[in-house]
Amino acid sequence: MKRKSLAVVLALGVGLLIAGSGFAADKPVKIGFVYIMSGPFATYGQFAKQGAELAIDEINKAGGINGRKVEAIFEDDTGKPDVGIRVIRKLVYENEVDIVMGIDSSGVASAVAPVMKELKTPLIITHAAVPDVTGTNCNRYTFRVSLNINQNISMASSIAAEMKAKTWTTAGPDYSFGHQSWEYFQKYLSKKKPDTVFLPRADVAFPPSATTDFSAYVTKIMNSKADGVLISLWGGNLIDFVRQAGDMGFFDGKREILMTLGAATEVLYALKEKMPEGIWVGTRYWFQANNTPINKAFVDAYLKRFNVYPSYNAHGAYGAVKTYAAAAGKAKSVEKEKIVDALEGLSIELPVGTIFIRPEDHQAVTDGVWGKTAADPQMPIRILKPIRAFAGKDITPTVDETGCKIK
Amino acid sequence: MNSLLRGHVLPASLILLALMAAPLFLSMYGVIVLTEILTMSLFALSFNLLFGYTGLLSFGQAGFFGAGSYFAVLTLIHGPDSLWAAMAAAFIGSAVLAVVIGWFCVRLDEIYFAILTLGFGMMLFTIAHNWRSVTGGSDGLGNFTLPELNLFGWGVNLFNPINFYFLVLLITALGALLLFRVVNSPFGLLLRGTRENSLRVSFVGANVRAVRLFAFILAGALAGLAGALFAFFNRIASPEMLHWSFSGKAVLMTILGGSGVYLGPAVGAAIFFVLEHVITAYTTNWMIFLGGILVVLVLAFPKGVLGSLLGLLTRRWKGPKP
Amino acid sequence: MEGFLANLLNGLSWGMLLFLISIGLTTIFGVMGVLNFAHGSLFMLGAYLCMQFVRWVGSFWIGLLLGPPIVAVLSILLERFLLRPLYSRDVSFQLLLTFGVMLFLDDGVRLIWGAAYHVVNPPQILAGVIQLFSQSYPVYRLFLVILGPLVGIALWAFFSFTRWGKILRAAAMDRQMAEIVGVRVPMMYTAVFGFGAWLAALGGALAAPHQSVGPAMGERIIIESFIVVVIGGMGSFPGAFAGALILGMLNSFGTTFLPDVQMALPYILLAVILLTRPRGLFGGEA
Repeated sequence: MKRKSLAVVLALGVGLLIAGSGFAADKPVKIGFVYIMSGPFATYGQFAKQGAELAIDEINKAGGINGRKVEAIFEDDTGKPDVGIRVIRKLVYENEVDIVMGIDSSGVASAVAPVMKELKTPLIITHAAVPDVTGTNCNRYTFRVSLNINQNISMASSIAAEMKAKTWTTAGPDYSFGHQSWEYFQKYLSKKKPDTVFLPRADVAFPPSATTDFSAYVTKIMNSKADGVLISLWGGNLIDFVRQAGDMGFFDGKREILMTLGAATEVLYALKEKMPEGIWVGTRYWFQANNTPINKAFVDAYLKRFNVYPSYNAHGAYGAVKTYAAAAGKAKSVEKEKIVDALEGLSIELPVGTIFIRPEDHQAVTDGVWGKTAADPQMPIRILKPIRAFAGKDITPTVDETGCKIK
Repeated sequence: MNSLLRGHVLPASLILLALMAAPLFLSMYGVIVLTEILTMSLFALSFNLLFGYTGLLSFGQAGFFGAGSYFAVLTLIHGPDSLWAAMAAAFIGSAVLAVVIGWFCVRLDEIYFAILTLGFGMMLFTIAHNWRSVTGGSDGLGNFTLPELNLFGWGVNLFNPINFYFLVLLITALGALLLFRVVNSPFGLLLRGTRENSLRVSFVGANVRAVRLFAFILAGALAGLAGALFAFFNRIASPEMLHWSFSGKAVLMTILGGSGVYLGPAVGAAIFFVLEHVITAYTTNWMIFLGGILVVLVLAFPKGVLGSLLGLLTRRWKGPKP
Repeated sequence: MEGFLANLLNGLSWGMLLFLISIGLTTIFGVMGVLNFAHGSLFMLGAYLCMQFVRWVGSFWIGLLLGPPIVAVLSILLERFLLRPLYSRDVSFQLLLTFGVMLFLDDGVRLIWGAAYHVVNPPQILAGVIQLFSQSYPVYRLFLVILGPLVGIALWAFFSFTRWGKILRAAAMDRQMAEIVGVRVPMMYTAVFGFGAWLAALGGALAAPHQSVGPAMGERIIIESFIVVVIGGMGSFPGAFAGALILGMLNSFGTTFLPDVQMALPYILLAVILLTRPRGLFGGEA
């Protein structure tokens, strides 16, 4: 009796599987992308969209994911957490996407990550750098293929430790990313150079993201005692800041400057020659940082199609799609639970280099790049010269240090 | 009192029944949209107690809505891990806030009232935005887990959107009922009296400021309750919810539906989200439509969609007034 | 010392932009009794049109000259066809109508120019920097600081010495009396609204090289200019000037010395003034 019912269940299951797969072959694989498409950071969403489209077209031309065409749906989270949750719910429940990718803002990432657990849908973060989503706030469904604050700031502190500056201040956006960048910078740099002084909270600058007139903040920093400035502003904020600060003589060589996200091509195209030379800038990916065939192919294809050099955000979206395709190939399915299992411990070569997704915290161990801005008559934008590459394993904290407990 | 309510029992039960049956006919996403509509209905109804019934245009109602969401989430994080406690904290906390702010605001009229409420609302916004250690700053307070709802000892899992929908339906219906009782009581008459002619109300011996203050407190408390639901729904309390442009949403919904009919704001909320859904399927620029619609409504249909419809119906049934 | 001077100039340049938009707002309120929510959007429209002219002909000055009148014409149509039917109704409806217009315009520019921020460079002659002690300061900002008072004086002269100006002031004081002595009030309303819009758009055009041009710039400045108008006294010119200066200084010095509460200061000031002197610092007696 018992055996019989088991057989029935099995038969039913197999039948369903066959029916299911037969049906699935016609249905496209749907990827939902969530980026900022409006306001001061809108160009980041634009570049990411281009990167995603490039990857999807390449995959579709080569036969799709497991034989199925890939379809993209883009949503604008406007950089606000509640909007982010809203659009992700829409993607999952209404558009029935198989996976969600993107997220620019750390605030959105922190709010969205726990919701993925309820939605039982994988999320690959491609930009937001807040440590907790692959740390204390990690979960089974949340992954990140881009560098996080830990990694980026650990590089920044290595460079800062070699500089002359003794007293540091910061100009960062007034949300978790800006505040945490400053906290981690203090933590790492005081370990590498214990006699460093950091200005107290009341003397540093955290302009709200909506700021367009930065003159008061520039004045504040220039009149402080600091001789080193960590700038974690990004996007439109960084563009406005550099333009206005430049006019006020901020880049007169009297202070050491680190811009943690200064090597974003979105920013470099907007600023062109207004971006001062000789400033140390960080990034998640730099198109000239390596000469692998896969990177050359990516940069050429991107440049040919969109007429600009790819930014790290474009690379993030491109890389996430490629990573997902690899995971689907490994799992031989796009079923959400199987994709999660396949992403854990996945290793794949992307234009940035080979990344490895740690199964314990879902953070990608990926190489990082910092460089000094330089002019090049051959190039429409400032380039990095020299470039300093950091190996992923040297800048990524251990799993124990992240505080992540998925299992 | 009972005679006042009698004529409403049947339509109210029908509406409630339809809402209870709605998840049977809607997709999962439809249920989620309806949940949002109900939450915002409660918010808009609370606003209309001030605007439609008392004649006070508040541009700071989001301050109480958002404060309620923070009170609720803070209770979940630091206090008892109970949704009932969180909702009570939102209701009471916002009411207390409304006592303090209302005490100042009810002294002013018309545009001055609108600006002062806007100012106080934005003060609350800046507190939420800048007090990082408590409110999480501009990132808001997210990253909390929604506990199970304790229903007479039986735990309901609210991760299921349908369960959550019924919670919101229950609270919104209770809030709406409370408001309805108030506006149809002798006190409600007094409220309308202060709108029409505050001088005359003061002549018959009522304290206009006290009447207004009570309306302000009730509106604030219910807005706070709606805010708590919204925070549970979004899994976050964020400063945006206190911003004056969020107050503008309540204003919009009320005008859309009609400020002169009790359920006008709720109908307005429904129109708002359905329109948003329909229009954003074609274009992201849906505010341009909304702005246009608002202009047309203000000019041609100041009674709103529901108000104008009801007006049309009663005219047909009863014939033109002499 | 340099810090103080730079803060002063930062506050002045922002304050002067606020002043330009606020005089329009306060005049419209003083004369017509309308609180115009869409005023910030007209400011924004001025900035966008200026940017568009810079793109077409490459000259900031052409944009400054031609952009604001276009906004003024648009506003005249708005007043004539949308606002005028509402004068007999409750003031709340006027506020709501202009709120609708604001939503329409804010999303309209998004539709035409996209959601991203745009950059306008200052004209060549004002593009440089000058040296203030050990720090440099952009010439364009100094230009704004000087321009503000000049516009203020020109307007003051207009209101004090010209026939039109006197009529306007009379109408603002007592509408009925003005009508009795033969002022055509409806036409004057239209003119005032157009004039206020022109000033707002002028402020927007001047703001374009000063900050990024984006769809949210109107929404942000409208609340600040409400505060300016309330602090100074609705309808008061010197009040708008003083209010704009106060807000500009709160912005620059507040950022330096009170970073945590700076954002709340304007609202606290607003509430205090409304509750203690509802007519504002420079408003007449009730």
